Amino acid sequence: MDEVLQVGSPSPPKPSEVSETPLIEIRSVSKSYGKSSAIKDINLTIHEGEFVCLVGQSGVGKTTLIKLLIKQESPTSGQVFVAGRELRTLRDNEVPYYRRKIGVVFQDFKLLPQKTVWENVAFALEVCGISNDVIKRRVSKILDLVNLGRRQNNYPHELSGGERQRAAIARALVHSPKILIADEPTGNLDPVNTWEIIELLYRINQRGTTIILATHNRQAVDQIQRRVILMKSGKIVSDQKSGRYVI
Amino acid sequence: METFLRVIKLGYNNFWRNRYLTLGATLLMTLTLTMISVSVILSLIVRDTASSISSKIDVAIYFRDDSIPDEKIAELEARIKSFPSVTQARLINKEGALSIWGRLPINEQTKQSLSSSYNPLPRSIEIKIDSPENIESVVQAIEQADTDGIVCSECASYGKNKEAVDRLISITGLVQRAGIFLSLFFGIIAVFNVLNIIRITITARSDEIEIMRYVGASNAFVRGPFIVEGILYGVLSTILTTVFILLITKLIAPYTLGGFSVLGIDFSKLVIGNIWFLIAIQLGVGVIVGVVVSLISIRRYLKA
Repeated sequence: MDEVLQVGSPSPPKPSEVSETPLIEIRSVSKSYGKSSAIKDINLTIHEGEFVCLVGQSGVGKTTLIKLLIKQESPTSGQVFVAGRELRTLRDNEVPYYRRKIGVVFQDFKLLPQKTVWENVAFALEVCGISNDVIKRRVSKILDLVNLGRRQNNYPHELSGGERQRAAIARALVHSPKILIADEPTGNLDPVNTWEIIELLYRINQRGTTIILATHNRQAVDQIQRRVILMKSGKIVSDQKSGRYVI
Repeated sequence: METFLRVIKLGYNNFWRNRYLTLGATLLMTLTLTMISVSVILSLIVRDTASSISSKIDVAIYFRDDSIPDEKIAELEARIKSFPSVTQARLINKEGALSIWGRLPINEQTKQSLSSSYNPLPRSIEIKIDSPENIESVVQAIEQADTDGIVCSECASYGKNKEAVDRLISITGLVQRAGIFLSLFFGIIAVFNVLNIIRITITARSDEIEIMRYVGASNAFVRGPFIVEGILYGVLSTILTTVFILLITKLIAPYTLGGFSVLGIDFSKLVIGNIWFLIAIQLGVGVIVGVVVSLISIRRYLKA
């Protein structure tokens, strides 16, 4: 938690330190819906501290992979390990606690329209039974981190696309997750806001959070210059340590 | 404790936010609870009527004419009191009969046709018997005891009450069964309609539920507000039903005065006297239906 909340350094961003410990391991995973196969025989290892861009056209299986990681779906075959635990062994009552360790950000923000920015972020802590005092402290700090301190009393419909996504990121970070998964976070944003979000994710990664970014955004991928995993027809066709967006 | 209060607050806010949809579910529930309450009231009326009639005169014997000496009547009264099945025997003299006449729910003109200067009402003995089954044996014993023939045997009312009570008991059973059937019938219809409305409200909030699950809300936390809403449905519909029943009671009570008073029942008093019992039934049914329906509706969103 502390490493996420530290103020950013004034010097240019450096690549985050990548641990040798695999945080996520996907072993021969396939997922089918009826006769239709969404992903086939995926093998993938992601280490702690990595910034991974998952790229590919619509329908190649990026979102399916993300759903497997957040335990929204189970693989038809194969195994998914996160922090050494196979997700299939999670009991139903353990899933909520697992999800608190993973932050997720979506293209459509998924903010509660009847709650303010503050309340949306606080909600993620309220559902876990955190006390009001702790919530007050954490939410204030996290909103400052994403630069939404002055907008905390606004409702989602009063915010720009970029601000809404920053609010969603704040909510995803409030539990200090080890992993932040962003599924097309810039899909609905203009270029300026897009870069703001990418830059924010970059900063978060510097603090040690593993980032998995599923995106179409060629420019962002090329500028980040981090690991790029290309998917096609449900398979991984390339995995470059420091790649560019090439389909 | 904080989490508990948060769940309640969330449930209440959701209930209020979707108030137009919840109003529909609440009104349907109110209709069902009203039907159930009416059935219960009907059962109470029939029960009290049966009890009232049973407690009334089982046998009444009238004396042939005013020339019969009071001593002979008193002697017969004493003998009747000694019968084993007789719990009470009360002599009604002419003045007493006139007083009873004056209290009858009949029009004033008819009432005033009799007075102390013109009172043809006979003296009588009202006899209460421990069980309707013993009426016949008591009647026979009276006939045997009436050696002077002072009792007007063709005027006596006995057996007819027993018949009336027997008929009433079978009607009571019929009315109660009909009431249960109607309550169940309307209850099932209401449950399905309430289920549909609550399903619609939950579907309308499926995004919210999805977000709750993404941020790691436990199933209990997701379910909790919907249980609170279910309870609120039950409580609100109970309040509406009770207000409605009391209003209707107040409106129709003057019109039931004559009819029910003959049976010794005050309709208004009956309803108000049993109001907490009615509220308990309404609350029980309303809350259980509200909570069960909410839990059924939310179930499919809780699968991991």
